[in-house]
Amino acid sequence: MRTELNADVTGAVWKITANVGDELEEGATVMILESMKMEIPVIAEDGGTLVEILVEEGQPVVEGQPVAVVEE
Amino acid sequence: MGDTTEPVEGWGPEIDELQERRRLASQLGGSDAIEKHHSRGRLTIRERIGGLVDIGSFREVGSLTGQGVYENGRLVDLTPAPYVMGLASIDGRPVAVGGEDFTVRGGTSWSGDRKKGGQGGFIEDMAANYRIPLVNLIDGAGGSVTSILKRGHTVFPGVHGFDRSVELMGIVPVVCAVMGTAAGGPAGRAILSHWSVMVKGTSQVFAAGPPVVARSLGQTVDKEDLGGHKIAVDTSGTIDNTAGSEAEAFEMIQRYLSYMPTNVWELPPRTETGDDPDRADEGLIDIVPRSRRKPYNMRTLVKMVVDKGSVFEIQPTFGKGLITSLARVNGHVVGVVANNPMVYGGAMDVRAARKQTHFVELCDTFHIPLVFFVDVPGFMVGVEAERAATLREGMRSVYVGLQATVPSFTVVVRKCYGMAGMGTTDKDGLDFKIAWPSAEWGSLPIEGGVAAAFRREIETSPDPKAREAEIEAEFLANASPFRTAEAFGVEEIIDPRETRSYLAKFLEAAQIRQRNTLGPKGRVGVRP
Repeated sequence: MRTELNADVTGAVWKITANVGDELEEGATVMILESMKMEIPVIAEDGGTLVEILVEEGQPVVEGQPVAVVEE
Repeated sequence: MGDTTEPVEGWGPEIDELQERRRLASQLGGSDAIEKHHSRGRLTIRERIGGLVDIGSFREVGSLTGQGVYENGRLVDLTPAPYVMGLASIDGRPVAVGGEDFTVRGGTSWSGDRKKGGQGGFIEDMAANYRIPLVNLIDGAGGSVTSILKRGHTVFPGVHGFDRSVELMGIVPVVCAVMGTAAGGPAGRAILSHWSVMVKGTSQVFAAGPPVVARSLGQTVDKEDLGGHKIAVDTSGTIDNTAGSEAEAFEMIQRYLSYMPTNVWELPPRTETGDDPDRADEGLIDIVPRSRRKPYNMRTLVKMVVDKGSVFEIQPTFGKGLITSLARVNGHVVGVVANNPMVYGGAMDVRAARKQTHFVELCDTFHIPLVFFVDVPGFMVGVEAERAATLREGMRSVYVGLQATVPSFTVVVRKCYGMAGMGTTDKDGLDFKIAWPSAEWGSLPIEGGVAAAFRREIETSPDPKAREAEIEAEFLANASPFRTAEAFGVEEIIDPRETRSYLAKFLEAAQIRQRNTLGPKGRVGVRP
């Protein structure tokens, strides 16, 4: 089942910390957004395989925007 | 009735009629209608009541209401009134429970000398008179123009009004569960509750449904996109929680009520959770990162402090910058209000503010002490935030916080700035602030403050970034919370691992005055 991971905040993509194809553990961080001077992780709650990264470093994102796709 | 010429002793024939009428009532809208209802993934009202309340505890009122069909003066059939209600128990405590029967012609036809429920009615009168919680299992579509034909005149809206429903909000816990498509009156009824839940996929809530929307605005939208849980719960916060199924909704209702007193003249029930009040979780010493830029999981932090397994989160998917949960500490019910640093650094936006306002008022009304876990840099800033009236909504939450008289504890975990930070303290009460060594506070965070107060000096400096960092460092040197504690500007600084034990002791003492100050809370004034 493909699940989209969304940005919980409006901000920018600071660092992408996983690669397409990675097997993610529950709670693994896929990328870090910057918002309100904070480093906000985007987390794959249920783990799975990272199948798509939809953004690139430095790109602005809005709240609710899908930023990655995980397959369980 | 017998047609024999012999006189009959006793009331046997009437009892037979009573049982026949009860049998007819139990058939609701008929087996075809029930099958159709089931095929849509929905239970009947009798099944719902059965699934919710303690087994065998339901005592129905108005079981004989409906429209009889007679041949030669004999009852041959009965369409029951499309509302079932009565007295029952949940976890051994009495509740008033009722709901629409959607299998009887969509739940809208019969009218009697007295209303059973829906909006007002016997069930709400009973909740008020007995001072017991009310649970509405809502599955009705609301008013219809067809009533004009039935009565031969138009009916003024609200003739069966919400006056009793509003009265109940101040005296007993009111729970509304939306079990179907609710528009108009039933949707409005769902909102007049302390806590509400809807069922994923099989329920919707809106002011008016797709046909009316199409007619009024020319918008085409299906009912799930207009008022399904993604809209009504996640996006708008109109309804508090989503249940994955009807069975889960019943469990959630039972769970919610377990934190509530039966009415405002009683204390919330204390339950033995078996969790040592002096438990000191080692994880608390390093859960807050040393880097102020890094967030952490506030839910995990809260769970290390409160009794294990005692957290019931309200509105988890709305206003995510704030976490509002009912929980227990040493068996006593508390209302946890915790900022979420994962979302905008914990800044208070319009949705978080609205969520806090409602939750604080809920806890104050039902004598549930508040525990704030604070990590808030202030109100949300920026163009979007101003357009959304963040300041107004935020000040409303400050206003309600200052009106609350329930015991309140402010645990400053990290940031506590500005009016949003102030809103976590009860200046009118004990104003008891317990800080962690990681705490920092002020009118505004140092970065923003320096940028504003030293703008000229920074701009005209040969290396602005370096000068700004220099000034910030100067201020940060004075920012140790221990200095504020020296001045008794904060009442205590504790080892984070002591939080549970410390809170438990004061919470116990705070119960004493609570016992003597029960009853409804009168609130005077106009909210901003």
